[in-house]
Amino acid sequence: MAKIAQRGLTTAQELYERRRARAEDLSRKGKRVIGYFCSYTPVEIFTALDIVPYRIQGKVGRPIEQAGQYLETIVCPYVRSCFDLALSGEYDFLAGVVIPHTCDAMHRVYDIWKYYLKPPYSYSLYVPHMTHPASYEFFQKEITNLKESLELFVNRHASETDILEAIQLHNRSRVLLRELYKLRKSDPPLISGTEVMQVLVAGMTIPVQEFNELLWDVITEVRERKPDAERKPRLLISGSEVDDDDLIRLAEESGANVVMDDLCTGSRSFWQDVDPSRGALAGLAERYLGITCPRTYRPGKAPQRFSYLGDFIREWNVQGVMLYTIRFCDTYQLDAPEMKDYIQSLGLPVLYLEDTYITSPVGQWKTRVEAFLETIESRRE
Amino acid sequence: MAEETKQKTSSAKSTESAGKIRHIVKRMYKKAQQAKEENRKVAYCMVMCNYEEILEALDVVQVYTENYAGLCAVKREAEQYMKKAQAEGYSDVLCGYAQVGIGFDAWRHELGAMPPDAPDGGMPEPDVLLGCSMGCDPRWKWYQALGRYKNTPIYNMEVLMPPSDADFDAIKEYYVRYMAEELRGLIAFLEKHTGKKMDYDRLTAIVKQVEETRLWWRKAYDLRRAIPCPMSTQDHFVIFVPHHMLLTDSMTLDFYKGLYEELKQRVDNKIGVIDEEKYRLLWGVGLPPWHSMYILDYFQTFGAVFAAETAYMIPEPFEMPPDITDPVELIALRAYERNSALQRRGKEAGDVPPLAQAHLERIRDFSIEGVVMHVTRSCRAATMGQIFTRNVIRDYYPRMPVMFMESDIVDVESYSEADTKNQIDAFMEMMDAYKKSST
Repeated sequence: MAKIAQRGLTTAQELYERRRARAEDLSRKGKRVIGYFCSYTPVEIFTALDIVPYRIQGKVGRPIEQAGQYLETIVCPYVRSCFDLALSGEYDFLAGVVIPHTCDAMHRVYDIWKYYLKPPYSYSLYVPHMTHPASYEFFQKEITNLKESLELFVNRHASETDILEAIQLHNRSRVLLRELYKLRKSDPPLISGTEVMQVLVAGMTIPVQEFNELLWDVITEVRERKPDAERKPRLLISGSEVDDDDLIRLAEESGANVVMDDLCTGSRSFWQDVDPSRGALAGLAERYLGITCPRTYRPGKAPQRFSYLGDFIREWNVQGVMLYTIRFCDTYQLDAPEMKDYIQSLGLPVLYLEDTYITSPVGQWKTRVEAFLETIESRRE
Repeated sequence: MAEETKQKTSSAKSTESAGKIRHIVKRMYKKAQQAKEENRKVAYCMVMCNYEEILEALDVVQVYTENYAGLCAVKREAEQYMKKAQAEGYSDVLCGYAQVGIGFDAWRHELGAMPPDAPDGGMPEPDVLLGCSMGCDPRWKWYQALGRYKNTPIYNMEVLMPPSDADFDAIKEYYVRYMAEELRGLIAFLEKHTGKKMDYDRLTAIVKQVEETRLWWRKAYDLRRAIPCPMSTQDHFVIFVPHHMLLTDSMTLDFYKGLYEELKQRVDNKIGVIDEEKYRLLWGVGLPPWHSMYILDYFQTFGAVFAAETAYMIPEPFEMPPDITDPVELIALRAYERNSALQRRGKEAGDVPPLAQAHLERIRDFSIEGVVMHVTRSCRAATMGQIFTRNVIRDYYPRMPVMFMESDIVDVESYSEADTKNQIDAFMEMMDAYKKSST
């Protein structure tokens, strides 16, 4: 990677701030870069075909300029923001787009994106909502079709071996990310939540091989750090798409350490490996349908469904949880009260924040975040 | 509920058939409550999930929760349940139907009894909850949220809606197979919770009856192509009730046969919705404002009639292949054929998105001159894509007037009568100009 000589966290920050820089550079050099949404797109297929997967993101706080002519104001503000950026030319370097049918907004934006932006390549991937045995078989077929469609587009075949190699590369990212997250377990953690967010977002904009190098550099750099003496309230943030560090920065500047997350852009995107023992595509179907996002039905009562959160809380010694939802997100908002019940049943306080993404209220949340941290502090005493 | 909010919210109807619906709805809830008292199994359901025949074959009583929310809105009783859901921590922009339903069950849980003065006696306590992925996310998330208030078993079922540009020949086999497996899973679930075994011959007979019912509804519906239009959207928004909520009831087939006869008679005698039909409108995508349905009548004061809709549409025609004898396979195939029909026709028409395709077909077939869409604050699924659809319509009919009416499906607070009437006034002026320029 071109800038690998500089320290990992600095590189991550640069990539975070200039997100499309590397992907655009690769695109100029003839690499195919394809945009995708959501944690449910099996990016291993892209890698197996030498396509760079680029996660499409919005821009918190940037007013909508053109998307209002195409998308209603009550539509998921994250999706509106992404579409607005695309209309402004932000994603012109992409050779195509893959939009999984993960929620109502994603499902419906596909036709709109295709109609107006006319990408050279587009694909809508149906992700089952259920997790019955037949759901996995169905999803495997859908992933197979995606693979064949991409093969036609790039005029290249991805063999089982190619996909297995890609799985290995992406599993390596996952191992390294979990390793990085372990460095957040100490009190105080060796790496801030803001830094982790930047690393994660950076990784969604570059080829996996480069990300693995970057992650190794970041881990090496962070391991060299001497822990700070000051112990602060330890927070977990749970929510959907957080691709901006504003909220985590606010919490950390207000006196917290964000030590763990349950976010689409965070642990949800890498926590499970792909197990290819039953075949590459079966492994992909199993791994991606196993993601713990509210958009997928997982049976059981709250303690069963959210037990992974309980594990995070215990293992990372979390003292408070910020539940973050984006307005108009039915799937998350239908789970949020139960999640809150569950976390409170573990004896932790919860701060519930509903975001508008485009006109971000982060500034207005400062007082609420500070009061929340005081609550935790008083419990610690 | 405060007395001042008790007002007539319904619209004027032009058919006798529509006039029967209120009685049918009252009877439907009464029968469900009686069934519960008689220890028969009751299911909370979502409309158009393709499981109606299976429930009937296993004698499970169907209670449609979205529509109960609509009933609450019609009676201006929704607010109390929405407030309860919000007090329970649910967002005020969550699906309005889900807010009403969750509030209702949260309140029942708190009281240990039916909420006081529940419209039409309330929904009986369910024995099973049956969600469905088709339509929107709350249709399967909502019932899981009820886990805070009850321990009722849930079966959530995938009902697939293929992407608009799919390779339909390539996906058909595994889409149908998955759907069939989901239906078999439902049967196993219901057999366990009812203690009954599925009678597949009975199921086949019910499927056939249902298709006959749909045939008659479609025949009746198509009569609305006539000028003057014999029946309005105001009627349609109650006429759909037997099909959507009492599909397998023995009276439903007769109801739609009766509707056909009535409309035929009106068409033969050139009896329209109003004396002088000046403009023909399409109620486009967007569920209706149940709290203030009478506002649709205001269009009629300008001589405008809603001749068709794309909301609560009749299922696409389905020819039952004689070689398929397994009713589960039949239902699965039917679901695929229906849920991919608009996509296929849109693709053939030159990559027209399915939602726009539905509108363009109605505009063409029902001589439509203007479109009204309802922007509903708490229903993203029926609102997202309205601007897009308007834009695509304009690609084909560049000057077609399109109005976006803003309120909600259940929340009357988001509705302003004065603003809406002003908007309609301006829209009708546009309609007039469009009509004059077109002739």
